[in-house]
Amino acid sequence: MMRMLPFVYLAGVFGFIYLPIATLVLFSFQDGTLPVPPFAGPSLRWYADILGDDALTEALLNSLLVGLGSSAVAVALGFLAAYGLARHRVPGASFLRGMLIAPLTVSYLVIGLGLLILRTRIGGDLSLWTAGIGHVVINLPLCFAILAASMDARHENAERAARDLGAGEARVILLVTVPMLMPAILAAFFLAVTLSWDEFIIAFLLTRFDVTLPVEIWSMLRSGLSPRLNAIGSLVFLVSATLVLALELLVLARQRA
Amino acid sequence: MTAAVSLRGIDHRFGALHALRDVSLEIAAGEYVALLGPSGCGKSTLLAVLGGFIAAARGTVLIGGRDMTGVAPARRPTTTMFQDYALFPHMSLRDNVAFGPRMAGVVRSARGARAMEMLDLVGLAAEAAKRPHQLSGGQRQRVALARALAVRPDVLLLDEPLGALDLKLRRAMQDELKTIQRHVGTTFVHVTHDQEEAMAIADRIVVMNAGAIEDAGPPDRVYRRPATLFAADFMGEMNHIPAKATPAGLVTPFGTLDLPVPGTGPAMLCIRPEALGTGPGLALGTARIRDAAFFGAHWRAQLSPDCAPDLVLKALLPPNEVPVAGDTLTLRADLATMCVFMEG
Repeated sequence: MMRMLPFVYLAGVFGFIYLPIATLVLFSFQDGTLPVPPFAGPSLRWYADILGDDALTEALLNSLLVGLGSSAVAVALGFLAAYGLARHRVPGASFLRGMLIAPLTVSYLVIGLGLLILRTRIGGDLSLWTAGIGHVVINLPLCFAILAASMDARHENAERAARDLGAGEARVILLVTVPMLMPAILAAFFLAVTLSWDEFIIAFLLTRFDVTLPVEIWSMLRSGLSPRLNAIGSLVFLVSATLVLALELLVLARQRA
Repeated sequence: MTAAVSLRGIDHRFGALHALRDVSLEIAAGEYVALLGPSGCGKSTLLAVLGGFIAAARGTVLIGGRDMTGVAPARRPTTTMFQDYALFPHMSLRDNVAFGPRMAGVVRSARGARAMEMLDLVGLAAEAAKRPHQLSGGQRQRVALARALAVRPDVLLLDEPLGALDLKLRRAMQDELKTIQRHVGTTFVHVTHDQEEAMAIADRIVVMNAGAIEDAGPPDRVYRRPATLFAADFMGEMNHIPAKATPAGLVTPFGTLDLPVPGTGPAMLCIRPEALGTGPGLALGTARIRDAAFFGAHWRAQLSPDCAPDLVLKALLPPNEVPVAGDTLTLRADLATMCVFMEG
């Protein structure tokens, strides 16, 4: 009995984590109008329904656009900040490092409100651009932290060797630093995409007509439960899971090699 | 592809540490020089000044007669081979070696040929497509050498290049480094803390301590007739016998020796263990054997001379005479093998 206990515990933990997702996915195949037992189906009608919905597919594309774009910017800025602080003597470097990471501790709601107030002050319309800027703000500290942690003396020596062999600063970064840090860069990028992909508060506060998927889903939620939402949720989960899997295969597998 | 180096009055501090104290050194074109000293003696700093990685507070660096004092590493006719090899992990060996020529704008086919030529020189042409992590430590070392030589430097700077290798491999690489240096004719400046390594490879050894040069010369001269007590001790085991320099000669526990003395006052008489024994030379009185161990080519014995029982001398005795602890023998040494240094 005692020997079974760890397995019971393990099953309990995984059940707790995955049962809601499993239920969500299961009832996305519901052949009826309510995502509650008894299960009738399976049917793909809700998938056909959401994929035929222009507002939804547009929101999905918007989300991808904002996610990929803001993550690329956040990784690029985070890389440059980490590189500069790791390789050059900057006055107040530890203070700068702290200031770059500190936003991680600030709630998204506060950051979103701050950006909203700033937007009102300087004018301009709410759009995917403003949501993208918001996502850069929240993902930059994370990208910086990941990249700063992965820069070590071994890389610096290779850069020194490259410079000694005649490489200019730009070529040192492009031909030596970036390829050597590629695992960390990809990890930061995929993580940023995943976070941006299902980020709601900032996207909600900083968009108006063109919205991202979580905002679209939220507006649909207000009209009550429907297997449609389950189908959307399943698709969102599929994309997130694919990203995490890609991260695992592309980055972590390479690091082990 | 070779040049003389002239360091003049190099002085540098790291905060409170006086890393280099007015160091001047002339190196001939094609010479293999070893900078030898304990860690923190300034040898690596001097190499970094020569390579352009550290700008010395004072002093001039001339390479091939041209003033290189303020010139960046990339624009100097020097290349550095780093202790941890600093290979590019994401490139094949060929691309690693071709990196320098690539930066110099050499076209792809020519730099590929150059890389293969260099890999061939270090015996790794067959592995050209491999990545650095697939190689052993000794092989990575060779790739680093090939990469550094691919840009045809006038001066190659080696910063403890063999430090990470095990003893056997290190000895093999020393011979190889010397052979390759003879072949390419480039001036090599090699930093090491291993005096055997310095003797094995260098045309000239520069012994450094506390930011200054203690001695510089061919290995045998520095070993036999060191300029300072520090150089004498760092080059190998040394017996220290307190003595007193007088106008009449050196007053020692063994009597007054007819040795040239650099002054008067307290002095230190130095004799290498292998110069001390029972063979020919001046008799220094009897000594008692305290202990002995067999090393194949010789017995390494600890002796106490009867004239100074508190003194413990190390001596290498012939392998065919078994020294027995407690026995006495007549100690002899050649005057020509002794060195005298003034104290203080």
